[in-house]
Amino acid sequence: MPKYPRLQSLKEINAVMTRYYVQRKALARLKPLAYVTSGAPVEIMEAMGILTLYPENYGALCGARGSAVGLCQVAEASGYPSDLCSYARSHVGAVLQPQQAPLKGMPRPDLLVCCSNICGTVLKWYETLATLYQVPLFILDVPFQRTTPAEPHVVAYVADQLHEFVEWLETHTRRRLKPDKLHSALALSHEAVALWQDILSFGQRRPSPINAPDLFVAMAPVVALRGTRQAVDCYQRLRAELEERVAQSVGAVPGERHRLLWDNIAIWYRLYRFFRPFMDAGACFVADTYTNAWTVEMDVEEPFDSLARAYTGVFINVDLPTRLHTIVRLARSFQVDGMVMHANRSCKPFSIAQSDVRGALRDELGLPTLILEADMCDARLYNEGVVRERVSAFLEML
Amino acid sequence: MGASRIDTTCTLIHNLDAPLGFLTAYVPEELFHAAGFTPLFIFHTPDDHGHARAHLPGFTCWIAGSALDQAMAGELKGLAGIALAQTCDTMQGLTDLWRRNVPDIPLFHFGMPLRLDGPAARAYLLAELQSLRRRVQALIGRTIPDDALWESIALYNHTRALVRRIYAYAAHLAPSELYKLVRLAFQMPKETYNREMEDWVQTTQHRMQEAIPPPAPRLLLIGPAMADPVLFDVLDQAGARVVGDVLDLGERYFAVNVAADDTGSAPLETMADRLLALLPTPTKHHPQHARPAHLLSLVQGRHAAGVIFARQKFCEPHGFDYAHMAHTLNQNNIPHLMVELEQSSQAGQLRTRVEAFVEMISQRSSVRT
Repeated sequence: MPKYPRLQSLKEINAVMTRYYVQRKALARLKPLAYVTSGAPVEIMEAMGILTLYPENYGALCGARGSAVGLCQVAEASGYPSDLCSYARSHVGAVLQPQQAPLKGMPRPDLLVCCSNICGTVLKWYETLATLYQVPLFILDVPFQRTTPAEPHVVAYVADQLHEFVEWLETHTRRRLKPDKLHSALALSHEAVALWQDILSFGQRRPSPINAPDLFVAMAPVVALRGTRQAVDCYQRLRAELEERVAQSVGAVPGERHRLLWDNIAIWYRLYRFFRPFMDAGACFVADTYTNAWTVEMDVEEPFDSLARAYTGVFINVDLPTRLHTIVRLARSFQVDGMVMHANRSCKPFSIAQSDVRGALRDELGLPTLILEADMCDARLYNEGVVRERVSAFLEML
Repeated sequence: MGASRIDTTCTLIHNLDAPLGFLTAYVPEELFHAAGFTPLFIFHTPDDHGHARAHLPGFTCWIAGSALDQAMAGELKGLAGIALAQTCDTMQGLTDLWRRNVPDIPLFHFGMPLRLDGPAARAYLLAELQSLRRRVQALIGRTIPDDALWESIALYNHTRALVRRIYAYAAHLAPSELYKLVRLAFQMPKETYNREMEDWVQTTQHRMQEAIPPPAPRLLLIGPAMADPVLFDVLDQAGARVVGDVLDLGERYFAVNVAADDTGSAPLETMADRLLALLPTPTKHHPQHARPAHLLSLVQGRHAAGVIFARQKFCEPHGFDYAHMAHTLNQNNIPHLMVELEQSSQAGQLRTRVEAFVEMISQRSSVRT
């Protein structure tokens, strides 16, 4: 079996993320702790010294550690239908039965912050958490961006709510938002996002020094530690390692023959195993739509309007022509030979228009696309035999 | 009103003036009516032409799937447009797919806020109504005057009052009859509907004023829409009565009138206030209007003996809602049953489960009395 070079920085990122959970657990006794969605304006909370934890990130952890199915079953036994989002079911299961959950569950939150720019499911998930924990819930309603750029009244609506959000946080935590702290958190967030964009662009090299499963591990800080020095440090180290690989012409997949584009959230319980047949065939996933979702930039001089624009325009909250434009741009600039789309039972915003995206890629660029139905966390929805056969046929066709 | 009046959208379109389709429970119908259109809800049907399946993943609810399928099969030809409000992820995705695959029927997306409380939500909703008005005006090539809006509001308020009267007689009606009448409010020109319902109410009032409702298990119904005729047939045959509902397109939809033009507000403002005041569907949030509390008060107020959840398979908002509502019912020892509806219901299985449930609550009631 061929061996593939490992990125040392990923080990460090994993260690940082483990410390992140452990530290949050310890610090939650001293500081207010908020659960937040992955698309929430975390910079404001960071500036106020409020700890944040991401149930979605925890859902991915449950999936990666193979605990998700058991936890989903706990939620299902409590009345949550089995066709609901598996991040939500895993996490609700972990809240109900923490002894079965990785790290014995997440520490109890003081606040819940739900931002609707990633999906509608988070509203129901956070309502559930508000009922289970009986703690205050803030809902930041970010409308679907039906035209790009966002209409002025949409930006004004989100910006108004951001001001309301600050007041709400100040009321519940008795902490004040200081402009200099916000400026500094935004600057760090900006720096981490810029570094992340740099890291993603390494996929344009031939051979690519990084593969999508590496990015799925590497993305944790840009999701969970935006606005902190740790995220910047993690990415400076990773970038340096990638530069070294490029200098030595080391590819993530030795003998890279095919370059592919990935769409949707990872299949966490098969992370490297799923990609192994591709790697064995010399196929490297040089770009993806999922980790590209955290590349919105902000203007630190106009924080509220800038945050409103940035968080409204995230990849899965924009209209299909804009998403298609992004996908075609990725396909062209990363010079891909095909695309693999994960039709993810748990993520409708990512999955619903995939057939049309496939058609557009075929018509515009003549690219072949494979759509595979699975689920990001619920391994019961993964058919190993079917996936193997279809992947093998796709690779042969390439 | 005969059973033949419950027709497919396809047939209805050809009998209406300037029909305009809509989806979701938050479209401001009055605005389209004032522009000269006849709003018509696009109910899902069991028919499948395979068009939607070529575009949507298999785990998409059939409410959205059927609308796209009907449109791509040409069954909605003749619609001047389609309107849908921001509700769930599937409807958001449908917006994109519709624009791409049904270019001959223009789509009006309406950004209904997710949060229904607070000044920011009201300001945004008002801006969305103004935007919708501008977009509709651009389509028809003329302005929609305030007077026309007030007239439409009055017409729709009358419809809402009539539907509330129908619900007042729910315990006297077979479920299929009740929902046939309610459904027609979404499928007929309001002018005709109001006329026919006024007659119906008058006759019924006369007939039922002194009558005691027949002894029958009293149920409440929860779900998205009243579109599954099999379920109603099964309920009819089980001898049950639906005495109220928390359907997205049921009682809640007709519960609140738009304030009349003597309030000093602009018509769009009063329309916004109605949309914010409605009991939220599971896709929306209002901290003061919690659905479980509403359900509990409805069970008590209507003396319901049980609740049936009719959930469309793959509907996330109603799936979570079920868990919350069922928890409340369990805490209060109120029996409930969940039936999952797919493209076409399996009548046999549905019948067995509903009949067993109705029998169980009948026995409970008789033990208590």
